[in-house]
Amino acid sequence: MSAQASLAVRDLQGWYGESKALHGMTFDVARGEVVTLLGRNGAGKTTTLRAIMGLLRKKTGEISFNGENVAARLPEYIARRGIAYCPEERGIFASLTVEENLFLPPVVAEGGMALDDIYALFPNIAERRNSQGTKLSGGEQQMLAIARILRTGATLLLLDEPTEGLAPVIVQQIGAVIRKLKERGFTVLLVEQNVRFASRLADRHYVVEHGHVIDTLTAADVAGDLERIQNYLKV
Amino acid sequence: MMTLLGISPQLLFGQLLIGLINGVFYAMMSLGVAIIFGMLRIGNFVHGAQYMLGAFGAWYLLHLPDLFPGLGLPSLGYWWALALVPFAVGLIGAGMERLFIRRVYDLEHAYGLLLTVGLAMVIEGLFNVGYGAAGQQYNIPDSLKGGVNLGFMFMPYYRLWVIVAGIAVCIATWYTIERTKLGAYLRAATENPDLVRAFGINVPRMLMLTYAFGVGLAGLAGVMAAPIYQVSPQMGQSIIITIFAVVVIGGMGSISGAIFTGLMLGMIEGLTKVFWPQASTTVIFVIMAIVLVFRPAGLFGKETVAAHAADMSTARPDSILENGKLWLVILGVGGAILPFLVYPVFGMKMLCLALFACAYNLIFGYVGLLAFGHAAFYGSSAYIAAYTAASWGFPTEIAILSGVAVATVIGALFGWLAIRRQGLYFAMITLALAQVVYFYAIQAPWTHGEDGIQSVPRGYLLGVIDLSDNMNMYYFVLAIFLIGFAAIYRIVRSPFGQVLKSIRENEPRAISLGYSTERFKLLAFTLSAMLAGLAGGTKAIVFQIASLADVYFMTSTDALLMTLIGGVGTLLGPVVGAVIVVTMQKEFATLGSWVIVVQGTAFVLCVLFLRKGVVGTLEDWLAARAERRRIAAGGEPAAIARGAH
Repeated sequence: MSAQASLAVRDLQGWYGESKALHGMTFDVARGEVVTLLGRNGAGKTTTLRAIMGLLRKKTGEISFNGENVAARLPEYIARRGIAYCPEERGIFASLTVEENLFLPPVVAEGGMALDDIYALFPNIAERRNSQGTKLSGGEQQMLAIARILRTGATLLLLDEPTEGLAPVIVQQIGAVIRKLKERGFTVLLVEQNVRFASRLADRHYVVEHGHVIDTLTAADVAGDLERIQNYLKV
Repeated sequence: MMTLLGISPQLLFGQLLIGLINGVFYAMMSLGVAIIFGMLRIGNFVHGAQYMLGAFGAWYLLHLPDLFPGLGLPSLGYWWALALVPFAVGLIGAGMERLFIRRVYDLEHAYGLLLTVGLAMVIEGLFNVGYGAAGQQYNIPDSLKGGVNLGFMFMPYYRLWVIVAGIAVCIATWYTIERTKLGAYLRAATENPDLVRAFGINVPRMLMLTYAFGVGLAGLAGVMAAPIYQVSPQMGQSIIITIFAVVVIGGMGSISGAIFTGLMLGMIEGLTKVFWPQASTTVIFVIMAIVLVFRPAGLFGKETVAAHAADMSTARPDSILENGKLWLVILGVGGAILPFLVYPVFGMKMLCLALFACAYNLIFGYVGLLAFGHAAFYGSSAYIAAYTAASWGFPTEIAILSGVAVATVIGALFGWLAIRRQGLYFAMITLALAQVVYFYAIQAPWTHGEDGIQSVPRGYLLGVIDLSDNMNMYYFVLAIFLIGFAAIYRIVRSPFGQVLKSIRENEPRAISLGYSTERFKLLAFTLSAMLAGLAGGTKAIVFQIASLADVYFMTSTDALLMTLIGGVGTLLGPVVGAVIVVTMQKEFATLGSWVIVVQGTAFVLCVLFLRKGVVGTLEDWLAARAERRRIAAGGEPAAIARGAH
């Protein structure tokens, strides 16, 4: 498995100042897979993404992407290897228009989606291309946050709770988008708390608690026994 | 000839033209300051020095053959300077960013200002050593000599060129930032640098280039200014305070606002020269005050980011060094012995400055507001005490109290204006307001300009004790210092002081608990001004002189330096800092103009390596030692170490 893995994380430990947030995360994401990290608030999911992206400075362990260990690298280097990040707070820039937001991430490799394809995938964004970024609705901001990392040629997408706080109909749309992305060959590492949403999309799930993986489930496991996973997540 | 309100059009348009020229420089400079402030959150005080470097760069290029006689270098004229110097200055800027400024990005914004103040002192001090106060002449290039008669006025070509080129550069900068891809990176990095890095953009390098660009603009302004103003080491010092005022008036977040405000204020300044010449030096600062009353965010400001007070305190409340009653006794005893060990006048200087620093620490250390204009209170009190004692024959105590009263009133007014903003803005505003007092002192007849008020009688304390005797004077000053010291300790330990601390640590929380924090801040600021006034008034009596140096911004810088060296927010820090600074000034007095370089270096070193100051570091060391001993004696390690400041 690990041989063809797009991303392999081994014994990742991470700290925010003095407090330890990650206690040895180990997991793989193979090329073309959609994998989720499931877990409660504070389990370390977002921190894991930030660590992969190089945004968490204090960390040990190995993060190898396409065979290269990038754990000690700076965020700008990691991005240029082909990992793209869509943060939980979406990070739409208020002082930039929708189009400027869309074109902000530089192209890091060939094979990114063409602008027309992106607009076809997100018709709302096309309509509002000249608005100020933060004038968009929450759902549109989420779409924009995903849309802008598709142009760059990145192959691994880190999506942090893309459904958080959105209306069910928008959640469905985002689900459809992620499915299309998988068809197009993107590898997706998805952080989610919405099990229903995740279970319909992902090939595999890692359940995260207290900063490490406590269980691994395949899509089939979840389909057969949604309760098992919900037990992990209930408060 | 037609006249307007008794003013000839030649004069009116002539001054408007000068105003517009000044406005172009204000616009170019405030643009750079605004960009640097916006992207890096650094209040670039060294901008004035970098502007001066630009002017000197042009002058150097012209005098290459004289500077390096052996090398056979050609003399490079204005156009070469225009092309080369901004890059050179920008390169110096990049080096400064790399070596110094980068190190304070993650710290409180106040440190960035302090660091650049130190760098400005070093650079300007070095040039002052080399060239003194005299200006160097730089001639208008031959191709731009002469002018054109517009009918109502004569327009020199060079000035026309400065206006056109300056505005063009401003517009190009505006376009780059607001309309291009590069500008989008910059704007995005201002909002969320981490995310922009996560997109693959090298933000640290971009910040360095941004700083270099802003500095390069200052260098360009310097080259353009060289033929108009004299090329002198001081040329940047006065303009930077005006620039800060322009940035405050224009407001953050608007590049076009900075350009427009700069041009407009230059013209207003020019007009004021026509109608009310005495007010022309202060009009910008007065406009700033008015804008603050009605539009605290500035004319074009969009910024609503809730700036917070800067908690830079390094004190450990439980440390033995914070025990005010104990130290009051120790200082009292030590102070009583001191005049037998050192010259009493030297001791008095220490005490006056220590009280001044303690007063400053009240607002900077305990409330977390980076005030930068305490010279206004210190100096105005000195002038009033000196004047009332010398001209009106006030008894010594009453003269000092008059000074204190005036300082308090000015403090209340400045505080009322300044507390509308926080962080760097607070520093810029207090600095600019203090400049009003400085310019007033230059112009008012009763302060005797450069001479100051001299031969102030020391008088008799309570009409009996002859203060012209140095020992008597010394003990009087010691008593005043101890009273001030005790008062500050009392204030800090009172319920009022506790609220101040809560504001420093988390103002929104203090507000949510129902405290009207603005009133607390204003009261603390006024008290601080009052005590600074006490120090200033006493100083005027001791040294029998009040002069421009007392109201000059370097005096505010002294207060800052003493507090920083000693330890911000500590009980003893300002006292220790005053002893160190006064001793340093005395020891280095023989170095003449090098003193300012030494002081600037001390600033830089403190910000980079001794942020906790002498006392704060000592308190840490004592606490660590106590902890080690406790553990050695079998105690449990403390669960949570004090947060790393």
